[in-house]
Amino acid sequence: MVTITEKASEKIRELIAAEKREGLALRFGIGGRGLNGFTYVLRFVPLSERGAGDTAIDAGGFTVLVDAESATHLAGASVDYVETAQGGGFKIENPNPLWTDPRARAVQEVIDRDINPAVASHGGFVTLLDVRDDVAYIALGGGCQGCGMVDVTLKQGIEVRIREAVPGIREIVDSTDHAGGSNPYYRPSKGGQSPLA
Amino acid sequence: MTRYWSEGGGVVPARRPGRVLLLVTTQSYRAGAFVEAAQRLGAPLTVGSERPQALAGFNPDGHLTLDFSAPEVAVEVIRRFAARRPLAAILAADDEGVLTAALAARALGLPHHPPEAVAAARDKYRMRRALAAAGIPTPRFHRFALDADPLALAREVEFPCVLKPLGLAASRGVIRADDPEQFAAAFRRVAALLGRPEVARPGDELARHLLVESYLPGVEVAVEGLVTGGVPRVLAVFDKPDPLEGPFFEETIYVTPSRLPAAARAAVEGRAAAGVAALGLSDGPVHAELRHHAGEAHLLEIAPRSIGGLCSRVLRFGEGRSLEEVILGAALGLESGGLERERAAAGVMMIPIPRAGTLAGVRGVEAARAVAGIEDVRITIPVGDELVPLPEGARYLGFIFARGGAPEQVEAALREAHRWLEFDIQPGPGAAPGVRADAGAERRW
Repeated sequence: MVTITEKASEKIRELIAAEKREGLALRFGIGGRGLNGFTYVLRFVPLSERGAGDTAIDAGGFTVLVDAESATHLAGASVDYVETAQGGGFKIENPNPLWTDPRARAVQEVIDRDINPAVASHGGFVTLLDVRDDVAYIALGGGCQGCGMVDVTLKQGIEVRIREAVPGIREIVDSTDHAGGSNPYYRPSKGGQSPLA
Repeated sequence: MTRYWSEGGGVVPARRPGRVLLLVTTQSYRAGAFVEAAQRLGAPLTVGSERPQALAGFNPDGHLTLDFSAPEVAVEVIRRFAARRPLAAILAADDEGVLTAALAARALGLPHHPPEAVAAARDKYRMRRALAAAGIPTPRFHRFALDADPLALAREVEFPCVLKPLGLAASRGVIRADDPEQFAAAFRRVAALLGRPEVARPGDELARHLLVESYLPGVEVAVEGLVTGGVPRVLAVFDKPDPLEGPFFEETIYVTPSRLPAAARAAVEGRAAAGVAALGLSDGPVHAELRHHAGEAHLLEIAPRSIGGLCSRVLRFGEGRSLEEVILGAALGLESGGLERERAAAGVMMIPIPRAGTLAGVRGVEAARAVAGIEDVRITIPVGDELVPLPEGARYLGFIFARGGAPEQVEAALREAHRWLEFDIQPGPGAAPGVRADAGAERRW
């Protein structure tokens, strides 16, 4: 289900050896979804951590563990190791669509087509994290993260647009750590002093 | 008692309320709480702010762009909007939009504080005169033109005194002076602040003068109230246990209920109500600041809006309603779900800015959150931003929220949580001349 290229295998074996620990496996999975598609987890774990739902793949000298949820999104994926002028790194090719749930795909389409081009004018972006039942979980980044008007953007804009375009979605939950925002578009001030004063 | 039904995850009254126009600047701390309150009440919401919103095109009825510095023009925009989408209530979240809200509400025949009362309350000198004319104890006061010679003016002033801009909020530009030299320095500092383009608009009358009033030693309290049909109701009385003695008056801890003796508390509430009547405030929220001095409650300020910053989060009413739900519910004429604040004590700390510089990091937030009684800690200035302390500063470093069985416990929890916070402040653009911004972390208290 997952292909590890010879070059990647060689590098992984080298990294395992550098760990100087016996019985290590490579945990490979989906970490989440971002603006540019899936984000991935690649880390060494004790082989004894293999869970009941994990798929174990013999990659020639080491074992790759893939959890059941990730496995559905990683069928046919490959891990390669590439050298560039900036250094080396693992490159993952994944032919799977970002979402299989039709509602999630519809929400993603609204975000890509309508919402992100609009909030980009404020340096912001919206990422769909998940859709469970009739709730869409999103995160806001860039100028939206920590912005004083983020609730207006969320409730009066994002929520209205998504619910209108995807009737199966009842609620939008913002999972953003707004305190972690480093460049919010609007910064609150005492007395709501207008920036245009 | 309000009856509720559920739709879209919110809890809303049985009769769907009419549309609310919320006036809020893009730099408000208050937008989120009011937007959430409108949603819980099931009220369709239009947000009026001074800049176009990024997603306004997808919800044109949900947004209006208004120039708060030209209220008459903004009222005309609102009137045209209301002809298409009738409004049931107009409310301003902050000082900036409150006069526009009052004028628009009058134009549309909606309940609100009258524009004359709002205008008086927005100008500290007019407010002082109205309160004094009504016989309400207030500090003795003068209004001076900013182009006057401060050393000459100092001869007319009793010391100690407090200098204040006429139109700024949250202790911004408020400085105590104990002698003529301090007076002159403070005068020039306030004038410089009011001369900044981001503080005062060209031609702003309130930026041409300042208020000088006698300094009254004593404990300070804040009253959160709601006026309906001219009848004021007290929603909460907050103690401010940190001494506010100057030279600057940075507010930190607010704890409710007040620990003042019952008679003193009643006097505070009565004086705030008298201030409401003296100014003619009739329909909407009010936030008053009073000082107990020489056995009397002196009314320092009364604003035609609710408490600022994120402080309202500590208030819960009836079956758990927020302050904003109470305010919006009253504006919409909904049945009251009870205006009794919960029995628990509650408090908030507006985290003070220790010194000027650039915020390079914050540590200890999780430890502060873990303190018993602490509900949340919110840092509201991003790492990398400039820190400007009072009297020039206009931002809160953050907020700590606590709840507990007694006010003493709440205050202790707030102080303990604050002790865990470490702010790494590096020298940077926020460091004003003459202010040393030491590198490295600082642990306060």
